[in-house]
Amino acid sequence: MFIFTKMTQIPVKINNKNPKLASYILSQYGGPDGELGASLRYLSQRFAQTDRSGIALLTDIGAEELGHLEMVGCIVTQLTKGEGARSFDRYGVGDYYIDHANGVYPSSASGVPFSAAYLQSKADPIADITEDMAAEQKARATYDNILRMCDDPDVTNIIRFLREREIVHFQRFGDTNRTDLKVFLYKNYWHLYHFYRRKSDGVIGFCHTSFTIPNNNNNNDPLSE
Amino acid sequence: MENNRQMSAQQLMRKLSEAMFFANDLKLYLDTHPDDSRALKMFREACRNSEICREAFEKRCYPLFSCSSDCENEWEWLNGVWPSQKMT
Repeated sequence: MFIFTKMTQIPVKINNKNPKLASYILSQYGGPDGELGASLRYLSQRFAQTDRSGIALLTDIGAEELGHLEMVGCIVTQLTKGEGARSFDRYGVGDYYIDHANGVYPSSASGVPFSAAYLQSKADPIADITEDMAAEQKARATYDNILRMCDDPDVTNIIRFLREREIVHFQRFGDTNRTDLKVFLYKNYWHLYHFYRRKSDGVIGFCHTSFTIPNNNNNNDPLSE
Repeated sequence: MENNRQMSAQQLMRKLSEAMFFANDLKLYLDTHPDDSRALKMFREACRNSEICREAFEKRCYPLFSCSSDCENEWEWLNGVWPSQKMT
């Protein structure tokens, strides 16, 4: 069960108004890589998890993402509080005002309503946890984009905090992925190698991933080293 | 928390969210590292600390959980800063 606590993970206090910025940040409320999708994804996937570590992590991170959803809603509300139709129009978001006025509606920055098609629940720990890791990186990248658009320090500080949480969650999902691999699929595994090429290779920031399928007669646990 | 008489609601909230954040982050770590005795010890400490901070805040300001509301004379749960509002 969930119990509501009348506080946010960190306090949200924004002094300036900016409906345009609010419409960008709204994407983390109901957009393709937003907090609503994240929490629904984890809280749904956990029902099919069999590993205790995985169940606990999906539940705990799913609950934290619900808290982040609330924080994003707070930011959007405070950025638009008291602003009227004309102000929304001046900021270039008159179309949002026509449909929702000062309401917080789960949609992306480009106005597409939230959809469960953004997420998957596959009952396969490798598929699910790998999706979760990707989801954290996509959310992190979206926060990066918001930071590029935002110069209000009140907002930036909170967005930076939320961005860092995505990185922590990515790390935690990575840990459980290793456990899953060990427990369930040690006889039928594949290994993921990341090569972050350095400047000397002539390519900067390029990430190459290769898959190696080892022979199935090898029962040695590849992750025990 | 000796000087919490001088602390404003905002400062008390800051302390509480820091304490709860620390406990929450340790919780996620322990989910995948349940045998780390150092983290277990830190978690116990963090939980104790966030309880102290929560009590200090609720005593001075307003209830954060409905069960900590004072129901003697009025429905105190309505008071305080809801997610749509901001702390002054």
